[in-house]
Amino acid sequence: MMAVFEKSPRLRHIGHLDIQRAVQRALRRSGLPVSYSKGFNPHILLTFASALSTGYAGRREIMEVQLEREVSPEAFLSAMNAAMPPDMQLSEAKMLPDQHIALMAAVQAADYTITLTDDAAAAAIAAKLPAFLAQESIIALRRTKSGMKETDIRPLIHTLKAEGNALRAVMTLTERLACKPGMLLDALAAFCGFEETPRVMVVRNALLGADTAGALAPLETL
Amino acid sequence: MPSCGSEPGGCGQVKEENPLTMHEKIEAMLEKVQKAPRYTGGEMNTAVKKWDEAALRFAFCFPDTYEIGMSHLGMKILYHGINSQPDMLCERVFMPWVDMKALMEAESVPLFSLESRTPISRFDVVGFTLQYEMSYTNILAMLKLGGIPLKNAERAEDDPIVVAGGPCAFNPEPLAEFIDAFMVGDGEEQILELNRAILEGRRAGLSRMDILKSLCRVQGVYVPALYDVSYNEDGTIAAMKPNCPEAPEKVMKAIITDLNSTYYPTEIPVPYTDIVHDRIMLEIMRGCTRGCRFCQAGMLYRPVRERSLENLVELAMSLENATGYEDISLSSLSSGDYTCLAELIRELIRRMKEKRVSISLPSLRLDSILKDSLEETQKERKTSLTFAPEAGTQRLRDVINKGVTEDDLIEKVRDAFQGGWSSVKLYFMMGLPTETYDDLDGIADLAGKVVREYFAVPKDQRAKGLRVTCSASVFVPKPFTPFQWEPQDTQEVVREKQRHLVTALKKVKGVNFNYHESDLSYLEACFARGDRRMGRVLLRAFEKGCMLDGWGEHFKYQAWREAFEETGVDPAFYAFRRREKDEILPWDFIDCGVTKEFLWREKERADAAVTTKDCRKGCNGCGLQRFKGVCSFCG
Repeated sequence: MMAVFEKSPRLRHIGHLDIQRAVQRALRRSGLPVSYSKGFNPHILLTFASALSTGYAGRREIMEVQLEREVSPEAFLSAMNAAMPPDMQLSEAKMLPDQHIALMAAVQAADYTITLTDDAAAAAIAAKLPAFLAQESIIALRRTKSGMKETDIRPLIHTLKAEGNALRAVMTLTERLACKPGMLLDALAAFCGFEETPRVMVVRNALLGADTAGALAPLETL
Repeated sequence: MPSCGSEPGGCGQVKEENPLTMHEKIEAMLEKVQKAPRYTGGEMNTAVKKWDEAALRFAFCFPDTYEIGMSHLGMKILYHGINSQPDMLCERVFMPWVDMKALMEAESVPLFSLESRTPISRFDVVGFTLQYEMSYTNILAMLKLGGIPLKNAERAEDDPIVVAGGPCAFNPEPLAEFIDAFMVGDGEEQILELNRAILEGRRAGLSRMDILKSLCRVQGVYVPALYDVSYNEDGTIAAMKPNCPEAPEKVMKAIITDLNSTYYPTEIPVPYTDIVHDRIMLEIMRGCTRGCRFCQAGMLYRPVRERSLENLVELAMSLENATGYEDISLSSLSSGDYTCLAELIRELIRRMKEKRVSISLPSLRLDSILKDSLEETQKERKTSLTFAPEAGTQRLRDVINKGVTEDDLIEKVRDAFQGGWSSVKLYFMMGLPTETYDDLDGIADLAGKVVREYFAVPKDQRAKGLRVTCSASVFVPKPFTPFQWEPQDTQEVVREKQRHLVTALKKVKGVNFNYHESDLSYLEACFARGDRRMGRVLLRAFEKGCMLDGWGEHFKYQAWREAFEETGVDPAFYAFRRREKDEILPWDFIDCGVTKEFLWREKERADAAVTTKDCRKGCNGCGLQRFKGVCSFCG
């Protein structure tokens, strides 16, 4: 069963492992026939399409749960919503075919709203966006296991526009390659000549996959 | 979520000023602090009652961090109890860590509740739980951060009523200047009666003082302002008398007579972030019959009341369903003594198998059949096993009435090593009354015997990596124990004894010795048996920046020493002095159920190294026999 759930802004500082544990406990409370792994230390068979960073909220996050027997999406939804905390409610559930591509591998990009708390900084960035995007390459620093690594994020930015004091961005997010909001902001701050990266509130609106024609679309619709 | 919009700066404000609401300020702070999940709230099973619909709002304050407070069972019970009342609301408040506290002070954000982020000064009642003496400075810090005057005499009519309960409320005197009313004893019914009385008083338009007087009707409530204390020339108490007719001469603790009939929450808050005890805690009984003479809890929580097996199994099932926890631990002072322990465990294992819930058990007091069924079903984690012989020789164990013999201990340790454990922790106390260096050598001797048991198991049958950890804490004499008259060892003596133990234990291979600086135990001793004058020291220490004393890195011993000097209070008077039989002790006005006569009798038996039997083998006449039918073991 695949389900779409929210990680509300109130919970944005809760890390992925804690969210994972909260979902596991909710599944145990729900009374749904969840499957456990075999072995010495059995755990619930639960995966997430993409881990959401500590500090970010998520509007349509995606999980997948294996069940012992068939349960209708409606029944799943109502059992889980009774068991999930108010800040982590589900909006959709859908049965997946037996043979489906791993959710994690299907994610191609993500859609973010990045709200700046400083109005002046937001205006300055909005004014420079066209010039920023006109660059042929944008080198950003990315933290990896082996230190800081340079990445050209320009090809990873699919769309980027200003919406009031927020930025709306669709950026590549795959297991191999990604432009995270933090990298984008660092690059924007450097481009605008800010001394510090401005404070923001990041909401991940959707996880996107590619449809048969190769166009990006919300993962849960594919 | 109720709004916290009493702050200026909501919608419609002039843009240039850009005043942030309290909510926005908190959100901004959470970006900067180390552990934001301590302050976010919104956990499963936390109450979301509407602020405006509650007639009485209670801020439950735990004077330590979230991880500590959220691990505390009593808080969860009372939180649920208050919120179950249709006209009452209870929200949680914890001590912010230093980073958050500094930001709150800089941004003028008052201490707020987690549920609705309401400043604590807007609640009708602000209640603290007193779990250990060294959290007292945190209480002052929380009141100050909440904008509530520290001293009860300085509070205005509409300030919240500040109450406190928990084990340390049995000697409330060091906090007498700061707390409006103390609750002594079992809190389940008492806290509701207290709230009800405050609500009625407020509705009737009574003055603050009249409301406080009306609280004396509630069993176990002590209002310090209604009592006057006079002192003798030598500093001991001459008299403590009520100064109004409402206040009783003796405050009798509140007792829940039947645990099965009182409430026990099943929908307990489930935190997102790691806390100290993140599991279901099932209180199987309250009280203890063993009568260890150093143990305050063993006296305060008398009489022993067991929950029925049926009640417990049902509770466990409901708790599991409501929380989704993977572990249950049985909680009580001495779970091994629960009458139907084996049946209880078997039944829990049977019912919990399908849900893969593991059950943590009290030490090794299990018969062998039970051990087999456990091995089948439980994920056996061979973590270290803990034993608490408390003293190194049989003589001293008899003095403290710790009914454990060396043979008992060695047998259990042998079982453990044969069962695949290789790590054992041994807890001792040093500075117990009548202790000699022979008793300290006994600790090293016992540790040596434990090590030999390990090597007695054939190499191919024992787990690798022997680890024996020996810990020795400094004994702190506590009120309402047979040792309440005893002096604590001076710090010089403690240091000398610690050096001796280090040397003695160095000779035992495979043993790791742990001990702590005696400074904290010394202060704990001052507060544990302190009187009202210790409140001056507390306030001065707090003004000097003392806070989070229980967290080693924040403990400022030098500041405490200065606080004693500047207030002219002699710590030795409280810690190192032997009290006379007829001395009026600061807590004598409280009736904890156990009588002073019984305690003195026990003290004399201790002096003679004579043991007293477990109450389960016959009544010892501790005083609880006054309450017919409450104690299952009274004659």
